[in-house]
Amino acid sequence: MNVLAYVFYLLITYVITVRTGLVFYRNGKVYIKAVLKGDEQLTDFINKMLLTGYYLVNLGYAATMIRWWKSIESFSALLSTVGVMTGRIMLTLALIHFFNMAVIYFISRSNNHLINHTT
Amino acid sequence: MKTSLNFTAYLIYLPVVLILTWYVAHTLFKNSKVFMMDIFNGRSDIALSSNKLFETGFYLLNLGFALTIMEIAAEITNGRNMLEILSLKIGGFSIYLGIMLFFNLYLFFRGKRVARQKARLAEAVKVMGA
Repeated sequence: MNVLAYVFYLLITYVITVRTGLVFYRNGKVYIKAVLKGDEQLTDFINKMLLTGYYLVNLGYAATMIRWWKSIESFSALLSTVGVMTGRIMLTLALIHFFNMAVIYFISRSNNHLINHTT
Repeated sequence: MKTSLNFTAYLIYLPVVLILTWYVAHTLFKNSKVFMMDIFNGRSDIALSSNKLFETGFYLLNLGFALTIMEIAAEITNGRNMLEILSLKIGGFSIYLGIMLFFNLYLFFRGKRVARQKARLAEAVKVMGA
């Protein structure tokens, strides 16, 4: 039953990674633009690079985790293992996400453009 | 009675946790737009963006936590056992979710206060300079 579990696991992680990646891509643009003081081309470039890097890291990490799975004998074990593994991926994603937001916040605070500037 | 109830327990746990998280996140981030507008001085593009980013982070963190704690190691043999284990799990998760909710609210109020202080400071600088 491990193969079935891997198929479910990879499908779920793929959907989660791509969807959150797109959300970050669309909404993070404003921040990068504010940090770079409105340089449109460089913003697009950096944003795309960040998205690609994010996909690579996440899908790679998800695929690597498969190496350490125990063998699965029953349906309840299948459900719980897939759940726990997906949960770990989501927690890692959340950590990376909040870390990124903190980094952008500190950069923007140091050049004081994001919050105080009113136009 | 050889059949174990673990599978049924998972089937109850997962929808409850999903709906609970969705409800809390939906309520919280529908109402937080007002705070975000205040924090970012009414610049709606950046306020809505950061609202969306926080919402995604909230979903990731809480659903991830819910899934990580979902495993039931013991073999469940009867209905009473299942109810007890499930109530402990779901209750614990609800308490965690409540703490996260209040933490988020604290962050919003704090952000609002800091933004107001900064606005007052800018005003004072403008008055001194004139």
